Amino acid sequence: MTPQIVLQQIIALTTSLVELSLSNEQNFPTTAGHVDHAFDISVSNASTLTIALRNVAYREIYAELERSRCFNVKMLDGALITLRYRFKDGEISEHTLSYFPAPDLEYFQNDPEIYLDDDLYADVVARNIVTFPIRFDFNSDPERFVDTHHPYSHLTLGQYKNCRIPVCSPLGPLAFGGFLLRNFYNTAFQKYSDAIPASTAFFNKTISANEQKIPHFICGS
Amino acid sequence: MINTVWGSTDKPVSSKQLAESLSAHQELEGTLYIGYPIIGTPEGSFPIDALFLSPEKGVILIDLVEGRALTSFVDRQDEAYNKLHAKLLQHQSLISRRELQVKPYTLTFAPAVARAPQVDEGEDHLVCNAASLVGTVNGLPNINPKFYAPLVAVVQAISNLRRGRKKREVARADSKGAKAKSLEDSIANLDSRQSAAVVETFQGVQRIRGLAGCGKTIVLALKVAYLHARNPDWLIAVTFNTRSLKKQFESLITTFVLEQSNEEPIWDNVRIMNAWGAPGGKDRTGIYYEFCRDHGIEYLDFGPAKNHFGSDKAFEGVCDLALNAGKVITPKYDAILVDEAQDFAPNFLLLCYEYLKEPKRLVYAYDELQNLGTKSLPPVEDIFGRDPDGTPRVQFLPQEIGKPRQDIILGTCYRNSRPVLATAHALGFGVYRQKGLAQIFENKSLWYDIGYESGENDIEDGAEVTLSRTPKSSPEILELHSAPDDLIQFHVFENSAQQTRWVVEQIRQNLQQDELIPDDIVVINPDPFSTKAQVGPIRAELLKLDINSNLAGVTTIADIFTEPGTVTFTGIFRAKGNEAAMVYVINAQDCFDAPLAREVALIRNRLFTAITRSKAWVRVVGIGRGMAALKNEFEKAKEEDFSLRFQYPTEEERKKMKTVNRDMSKAEQEQSKKRRGYLAEIIESLDSGESILEDYPDDLVKRLEAAIAKRRAKGPKIRKK
Repeated sequence: MTPQIVLQQIIALTTSLVELSLSNEQNFPTTAGHVDHAFDISVSNASTLTIALRNVAYREIYAELERSRCFNVKMLDGALITLRYRFKDGEISEHTLSYFPAPDLEYFQNDPEIYLDDDLYADVVARNIVTFPIRFDFNSDPERFVDTHHPYSHLTLGQYKNCRIPVCSPLGPLAFGGFLLRNFYNTAFQKYSDAIPASTAFFNKTISANEQKIPHFICGS
Repeated sequence: MINTVWGSTDKPVSSKQLAESLSAHQELEGTLYIGYPIIGTPEGSFPIDALFLSPEKGVILIDLVEGRALTSFVDRQDEAYNKLHAKLLQHQSLISRRELQVKPYTLTFAPAVARAPQVDEGEDHLVCNAASLVGTVNGLPNINPKFYAPLVAVVQAISNLRRGRKKREVARADSKGAKAKSLEDSIANLDSRQSAAVVETFQGVQRIRGLAGCGKTIVLALKVAYLHARNPDWLIAVTFNTRSLKKQFESLITTFVLEQSNEEPIWDNVRIMNAWGAPGGKDRTGIYYEFCRDHGIEYLDFGPAKNHFGSDKAFEGVCDLALNAGKVITPKYDAILVDEAQDFAPNFLLLCYEYLKEPKRLVYAYDELQNLGTKSLPPVEDIFGRDPDGTPRVQFLPQEIGKPRQDIILGTCYRNSRPVLATAHALGFGVYRQKGLAQIFENKSLWYDIGYESGENDIEDGAEVTLSRTPKSSPEILELHSAPDDLIQFHVFENSAQQTRWVVEQIRQNLQQDELIPDDIVVINPDPFSTKAQVGPIRAELLKLDINSNLAGVTTIADIFTEPGTVTFTGIFRAKGNEAAMVYVINAQDCFDAPLAREVALIRNRLFTAITRSKAWVRVVGIGRGMAALKNEFEKAKEEDFSLRFQYPTEEERKKMKTVNRDMSKAEQEQSKKRRGYLAEIIESLDSGESILEDYPDDLVKRLEAAIAKRRAKGPKIRKK
């Protein structure tokens, strides 16, 4: 997947989420550098993202990201979606794809009807779901790679420090968006994930042989 | 005749006597403020006992003494003088060179002191009782009359605030952006009726009525701030239905308390909260939730409540359960203020009432017309119930001299211009609808209350009436900035794609040519169930033009209506209580007709609400035949120069319609009956020769003659109640 395709996919994903009215607010991706050399695709105030790595309460992390508008899309339940990619000489070198749900707000999953009907009492619905942040990280640096312990591409759930579930390859924007919609936004009546364009481009496999022997994550590649 | 504005006072007896003493003198002119103003000083808030503002004498600061001990009245007068003097000095309109041109007078009013101490000629520290008050006031030197008008502005402005204004850069003086700016500037100040409503503090239940845009929310917020500044230890709650109001209340209250006391509000004592609420701390709590928690009653959230009572009656149902749980209720609050009371079932007001300590200061503001026809609040006697002996627990008594007003009507609409508001009413009621009226109020005098005047014919059953708004109820400044064709437009499209294209193009023009900022623009879809589906394509198209937007009401911060720098899209519920310079109402065809008559009223109300969000311009657009028919109705209203001309329905016809009965209180009905009785008595006694016209004060007879002559000249216009 080329930098251009990734950028197009981010825009396509954002537009689809707006069209589906799942996006409450959105920001355009920012870019820096040259596509043939060092090229970054990010969001404004991306430096705020480092807060997610610090040892602070999740509520504060969320509030800070929201305050600085560090997201591509803010979903209608308040979840923040951020996509950052870095390329070197046209090849992917890093990505951070994150999903930060609202820590103490109304949750779409619990009572989607209320959101869809624009109801006044959406803030007084029952809340029995535990939301958790999701991050897909990729780094092509062989120095950082430790077989099975620090896979090139990995999935971290709930900010657990040592949670790095191996992923078979880097993840494209539409694949990430489809994953989120399919698992966290589809309702019995509406399959939102069907409405976003399918990705026709993929990244190469980066998973090691050993990593394939333990539970891991397969995505289109 | 002086006008008294009753604020919150801890000196009720002397205040009352002061008001009575001054009111007894018909020849006195001016305004007497009790418990107002409060002056912010470096040491905190400084409350003034009373202030008399007179065209002849200027400002008289009055120090009230409840008992017989005058104590150090000289010091008190000096302090009050210095604080006010410092405040007045900030206003250029009252100054020449370095000198304040209208120096305040000070006096101590001690009605219980039989003989006031002798005051020397030219002495600054006056003391008087009821007998000597007016003489003392009359003895004061007159001010230069040209300073009176600015003085009034300044004294009222002490309670005033400028609303946070948006940053806009305007290059062309005639652009929409420039017009929006000048409108914002010119309506930033409160009018005298609004300021009086802020201050008037009734020891009991008080209601404030008015149309959308008359400033109810601001008045209520300032009232909270005023009560808090005056009584910092009171526990005060302010509550509402639309979550987006929370932020608005917060900033209004903060600004105003800061101004009054130079201190931040004590948020432990001033609670801005939802009506319903949920567990989860300060930000989520609400009146109902706390009520349950405090009394050990089972709390229901929306999910189960909806299942029990249905979506419409969910809140009414839970309030009922809480009230009938058989618990002994522990009053907790010193004052509760309810905004948008029309959106609540009356039993929520009862719940607030029960939750209040004596004297149960409940203030509720409502718009009888936000729901044009469906439900309005019942008379207070019914809301709050009766004591075992049958007397109503709350009654609206006729206004008495020397008492704060209990029932306040704010008659001027500052948000919508006359054409916009009249169109909203014409369409909301279906005045020009082919099938006839969709709804009407039961009580005809409501038309006058909301600022309409009838033309040749009085509002009578079956009469051909022409109702128009007056410059007083709809200030001209709101419509003169743009041509009528620009203020309000209706457009019919063949399909949704065409509508989308047009709206997108218009918004692009608004931003690129008209110098509006994205925050000025709101797009409303009146059908709540289709909002998300409908606004998606328009937002996506705008995004392609690099115009960012947000979808209001489903955000994590539900309390913020507009996101800076983005165009807001919203459904009808979240649109309530908010406003914008440019409003697009899309898919208005959904508001044209419905299979059930009851629903017609409902959808027409939505259209009414959507249109009345506009502070300046509104575009109503939609698709197909329904939209074309709506546009026709609009054209007819325009032909009538935005008057409502129709045959007033007869009683039978009205019964058929879903009707609103304004809650004319029993007391009001009583009083109007009494008045008719007096008049009949006078005429009878004249007829029988028992009395002759000369027995009555000349001046009164002349006024009656003038009123009758005026009626003859203009045709009958009696306010029938």
